[in-house]
Amino acid sequence: MYRYDQFDAQIVRERVAQFRGQVTRRLSGELLEDEFKPLRLQNGVYLQLHAYMLRIAIPYGQLSPRQLRRLAEIARDYDKGYGHFTTRQNIQFNWVALKDIPDVLEKLAEVEMHAIQTSGNCIRNTTTDHYAGAAQDEVLDPRAWCEIIRQWSTFHPEFAFLPRKFKIAVTAAEHDRAAIRVHDVGLHIRRQGGETGFEVHVGGGQGRTPHIAALVNPFVPEARILDYLEAIMRVYNRYGRRDNKYKARIKILVSELGEAEYIRQVEEEFAAQRPDEKIDLPAEEIARIHAYFAPPPLGAKPEVSNRFEAAKAADPVFARWARVNLHPHKTPGYASVTVSLKPLGVAPGDATDTQMEVVADLAEKYGYGDIRVSHAQNLILPHIALDDLPAVHAALDAAGLGAANESRITDMIVCPGLDFCNLANARSIPVALEVQKLFADPAYEEDIGKLHINVSGCINACGHHHVGHIGILGVDRKGEEFYQILLGGRADEKAALGEIVGPGLKADDVPGAIHRVVEFYRARRTSPAEKFIDTLERLGHQPFQEALYAAG
Amino acid sequence: MTSVRPKLKPETPKAVTAWATATGRSVWLSAEGSWTEDARRLGVFIGAEAEARLAAANRQEELVTDPYFMEVTHTGEITGRETLRESMRAAPALGARP
Repeated sequence: MYRYDQFDAQIVRERVAQFRGQVTRRLSGELLEDEFKPLRLQNGVYLQLHAYMLRIAIPYGQLSPRQLRRLAEIARDYDKGYGHFTTRQNIQFNWVALKDIPDVLEKLAEVEMHAIQTSGNCIRNTTTDHYAGAAQDEVLDPRAWCEIIRQWSTFHPEFAFLPRKFKIAVTAAEHDRAAIRVHDVGLHIRRQGGETGFEVHVGGGQGRTPHIAALVNPFVPEARILDYLEAIMRVYNRYGRRDNKYKARIKILVSELGEAEYIRQVEEEFAAQRPDEKIDLPAEEIARIHAYFAPPPLGAKPEVSNRFEAAKAADPVFARWARVNLHPHKTPGYASVTVSLKPLGVAPGDATDTQMEVVADLAEKYGYGDIRVSHAQNLILPHIALDDLPAVHAALDAAGLGAANESRITDMIVCPGLDFCNLANARSIPVALEVQKLFADPAYEEDIGKLHINVSGCINACGHHHVGHIGILGVDRKGEEFYQILLGGRADEKAALGEIVGPGLKADDVPGAIHRVVEFYRARRTSPAEKFIDTLERLGHQPFQEALYAAG
Repeated sequence: MTSVRPKLKPETPKAVTAWATATGRSVWLSAEGSWTEDARRLGVFIGAEAEARLAAANRQEELVTDPYFMEVTHTGEITGRETLRESMRAAPALGARP
C-alpha cells in the first residue's frame, strides 16, 4: 500500500498543529462558532445531534493492521468503544469531544492517517472497488490511480472552495462495485489497443435530485487524465451554481447545460490548456505509484484446497458463509473475504474496538496485512488462502463477525439517520433492524439471493436509497416518521434510479411490506438463479407495487 | 445549525438548548441558569425572560455552541413541530448504541 513520503508526513503534521491552535482558540471563546465551523469542517469535524462527529479518511478504503488497531484504540479511548464505517469507505466516530480531537488527529498522523477531504466543498475521498488488486475481472489495480488522484486533489488551490462537495469513484472491473455512475465523476479504467485510459462519466449523484452520470468521454489516455479532470473541474468551478446549495452539485450543471453543451465546454477547456498548465505525468511516475500496490507475495496454491473442502463438508454454517461471503480471487487457491458488519441487531457498518482488533490480527496472520472498507459498509480481507478460511471464519464468528449475508437482504446500506444525524428527518437504523428480523433465518435469506436494500433518513440520501433494489426513505410528516419505498434502483454497470411506488408507510408497516414484495418475487422468479432485480425488471414495477400495498 | 428552527411566539413556553462547546454534548438551560445534559432538568421560559436567557446563552460561546429555542409545554414536555427531533436529542438513552 502507499506509504507517506516526507511531504505527506509534513503536511499532515502541520495540519494537526494548525487545527490544535484553532481548537484552543475556539475553547477559549476567541473564535466564535461561525468562524470556527469552516475550519472544523476542513478537518472532518461535524456537530451532530448529540455530539461532535469526527470523520476520518481511509483513502480508497485501504487499511493496514496497524491503522485499524489505531482506530480501535481511538474508539476505546475517545469514543464509546465503536466506530462506524461509511459509504465513502471512511470511518466516523460519533462521540469524540472537541477538546480531544487534536490528540486523536496526532495519533492518526503517527499511522499515516488524517481527516482531510472528509468534509467541506472540496474533492472528497476517492473511492474504488473493494476487491481492487484481487478481482478476476479487473484490467489493472485501480488503487494506484486513486492515489494519484488523491495527491493531485489534496489541497489543490484551485479546487479548495468548489460550489459544493465533489466525489470521484474509480473502477477497473467490468462489474462495477464502486457505483461510479452515481458519482460526480466516475472513472472506468479501460485497455484499448494496449493503451490504458479512462472512460469518463460526469454528473451522477443522489441526494434530493438524483442523476445517473453522463458518459462524456469514452477514452482519455492515462497520461492526460489529470488534465482532463482539471478541465471538468474548471467548467464546474466557473459555472456551477453558488446561489443555491441544493442546485450546486455538478449534476445540476450538466443537467441545466445539457450533456452535449457540457461536453463541448469541457473539451474546449481541455484543448485550451496551455503547455505550462498541463500536468506532466510521466510513465515513470505512474509506474512509481503503481509499485506501491504490487500484488502481495501469494504463494502458489492448488486451485482446490482439501482443508477448505473438508471444512465445508463438516460444517454447514461454514459452508453457507463460504458460499455467500467469498469472492473469487485472481490467484488460484485464494479468495477475498467479506467481513460482514451487518449482524442482526447491530447498527449497520458499526464495529467495536475488539472487532477491529480481531480483523487486524487476521489480516496480519492470514491476509498479507491488507484490509479494505467497502462502500456497502463492510470490511474485506482481499487475499486469504482457501486453506486458511476455516480458521478465519472461526475467529470472525467468535467475534460476532460471522454473518453470512454479503449482498443479501440483511446486508443493508443504512445512514445514521435521526439516531445521530443533525440533518435527518427520520430514523434509519431501527427500521432496518426491524426488516432484518423478518429475514433472520439464514437458509431463507440465502434462498432469496442477492438483494440490496438501502435506507436513508432524509432526502440527502447518505444511505443510497435511490440505488437500492429496494430503497427506503424516511420522512417526517407532522412529527411522525413515514417511509417511502422505492423499487428498481441499482448502482452497478446497469445503474438505475429507483422509483417511489406510492404513499409512505408507517415504520411498523415497513417490514411487512418488504416481506410481501420479497415473497412476490420468490413466487414469480423463473428459478432461484433469477435475482430479485432481474425479476423486477422483467415483470415491471406494477405487480410489485400491488404486492407492497396489499393488505398485510 | 439544525435544518429547521421554527419561530416561536413570545407567549409560547420554550426551553433554551445548545451543544457544550468542549464536548459537543446536547445541553439544556436549567431554571437556575446552569447548563445540564439531563433534559428532564430543563427550564421553561416565556416572553422577555426567554429572550434574555437566549441572548445570554449567545454570549457564552466558550461554553455552549449554537443555542436556540425549543418548544415545550408549561410543564417542560417537548412539543411542537420538532417534537421528533428534539425527543431524539433528549433521549434518556443518549449514549447507548441504538
